[in-house]
Amino acid sequence: MRAPASLRGRLALWLGLALVALWLATALLTAGLMRRELDALFDSALQESAERLLPLAVNDVLGRGPADENDEDDPRILGVIAPHDEFLTYVLRDPAGRVLLQSHAVDPAGFPPWDGPGIRSTATLRLYNIAALRDTVRLTVAEPLAHRARIAREALWMLLLPLLVVAPLAFAAIWLALRAGLAPLQRWRERLAARGARDLSPVSAGDLPSELAPIAATLDDVLCRLSAAFEAERSFAANAAHELRTPLAGAIAQAQRLQAETADPAARMRATAMEAALKRLLRVSERLMQLARAEGARLRRDSAADLCPVVRILVEEQGRDAGDERIRLRLPEAAVLSDLDPDALAIILRNLIDNALRHGDPAKPVDVTLTAEGILRVSNDGLPIPPETLARLATRFTRADSRAEGSGLGLAIVATIAERIGSRLQLTSPRPGATSGLTAEMMLPCASDCEVEKRDNRPSHHSASSSAS
Amino acid sequence: MRILLIEDDTVLGAAVRDQITADGHSADWVHRLDAASEHLRTIPYDLVLLDLMLPDGRGIPYLRALRGRGNATPVIILTALDQVSDRIEGLNAGADDYLIKPFDLAELTARIGSVARRYAGNPNPLIQHGDLEIDLAARSVHRAGRLVPLTAREWALFEALLGHPGQLFSKAQLEDKLYAFGAEVESNTIEVHVSRLRKKLGTSVIETERGLGYRLGRG
Repeated sequence: MRAPASLRGRLALWLGLALVALWLATALLTAGLMRRELDALFDSALQESAERLLPLAVNDVLGRGPADENDEDDPRILGVIAPHDEFLTYVLRDPAGRVLLQSHAVDPAGFPPWDGPGIRSTATLRLYNIAALRDTVRLTVAEPLAHRARIAREALWMLLLPLLVVAPLAFAAIWLALRAGLAPLQRWRERLAARGARDLSPVSAGDLPSELAPIAATLDDVLCRLSAAFEAERSFAANAAHELRTPLAGAIAQAQRLQAETADPAARMRATAMEAALKRLLRVSERLMQLARAEGARLRRDSAADLCPVVRILVEEQGRDAGDERIRLRLPEAAVLSDLDPDALAIILRNLIDNALRHGDPAKPVDVTLTAEGILRVSNDGLPIPPETLARLATRFTRADSRAEGSGLGLAIVATIAERIGSRLQLTSPRPGATSGLTAEMMLPCASDCEVEKRDNRPSHHSASSSAS
Repeated sequence: MRILLIEDDTVLGAAVRDQITADGHSADWVHRLDAASEHLRTIPYDLVLLDLMLPDGRGIPYLRALRGRGNATPVIILTALDQVSDRIEGLNAGADDYLIKPFDLAELTARIGSVARRYAGNPNPLIQHGDLEIDLAARSVHRAGRLVPLTAREWALFEALLGHPGQLFSKAQLEDKLYAFGAEVESNTIEVHVSRLRKKLGTSVIETERGLGYRLGRG
């Protein structure tokens, strides 16, 4: 039999079995002790009976006179007053083994030959021998052993019978007690199960028994340290970015001031070159930082928030550099709730838009769409990209056009984040429903309760119309 | 405009101050929040440029407290924080705009102009004043279709008067807008700028209230 998996089942089984075993052992021990007491009692009764019987039997034999030769094989049997079962039987024999007197329902052959006075046993009888008249008459009183065995068996049954009633009751009581005792554990387990998979806040131990409280405390501690580690990693990325950006910002601003202030064309050219180099350095270091974040930092938050404001602010930022009309944004009317970290979304969107602006047809707009279902789509016009190049695009340091400026990291970063949030960056060229351009699309993790609007199912129309414009 | 720059990085701060000054504004530059509080108490600034990570505290709580005290001075956040959430938080705390480091100094100039215009109640950068066509974004003035070159100080003075038509500015107020705290100002500097502006844009462009100050004329 397989042991039950639940703690309650195991405890109930073991406690129940232990209870039954203890009961059985107690019953057997009691029966054994009782048997010994009974033996002593019965033996003394047997001896008492023999001693009382002996004078009567001797009188009876002597009253008859000397034994007649003729009726030597005709032992006297005391008259029967009423028929009855005999517990005790007896034979009175002379030293030659002839039976002088016997109880009425006895087979003298069943008695063993005389072997001296005292108590002894055969296979079926308990015997007491006693002699009188200088060992000329010998009395043997017998009690069947079966009688004693039956009494002992009955006593044992009396001890065991209650077990049949009590054992199921005991099992039920154990079960209920365990259920009540383990209820806090059950509640704790339910609290654990009800949490989001990325919820790192401590679980309240509640009224857990003191044996289990340390486990809950340890779990809370681990959760706490885990969330601190995530936080540290996150703030490291943020601090590193800050520490790097400030001096670069200073250097770039100084280079710009130099360009503005110098009257020397050669110095102005050098300052311009310096600024360009600094900006390139900034871009690469920023991408590496983003990649570190994409691979290491926490990408999901404990709670869901609307992604639309984040997308709006990012598109506006990118639009500042690109010119207002270059980026066209489409957002659903309803909020798109997601536990995606806004900064992770920022990295995704900035890279996708940056990529579209950099590599797309500069005369054509870039379309950014977020659907109510959480699909983020960035499309740009431009020459279609051959499938083999497309497949390589999302790998690191790959550029479709080696002359185009870029770190070659952008799409790889987006692909890494997509993979870590259980999504996939999908690149399609030409755009669906068009003959040119590129569409980058990925499904953002969307809260299950966010409203799904079917009306947003028209991306291909949109792409087609923008390519015609 | 009188601008308070709160920035602890000396290299970036110097470049930003020089850019603002070159644009004709007067800039006071402090490195810490406590010094900033000191300045804000005593000088009526037209704009504050606020870095978010300073040696004695963070910019966003400081801004929130500033707004909580009822100070409505326009604030542009300068942030190196690469995180959208911080920018959203900054705007929610009462910032009027933000610039992410590193920013182009030309972008800084444009943002300052746009926030100032928004506060003046006219976000449209193109103003027609008499025979003058003024583009606040491009910082240019055309008189009868011809571009009139102005120096940074002249522009700053003209812009200050343009921003509040009808309001009378004392000489000291105008000096405050043009020169930083502790700068050496010649006693007749404002008069010199006013007379040059009149020469370039027409005598009636600035009205003088004798002994009281100046206001924008009919153009």
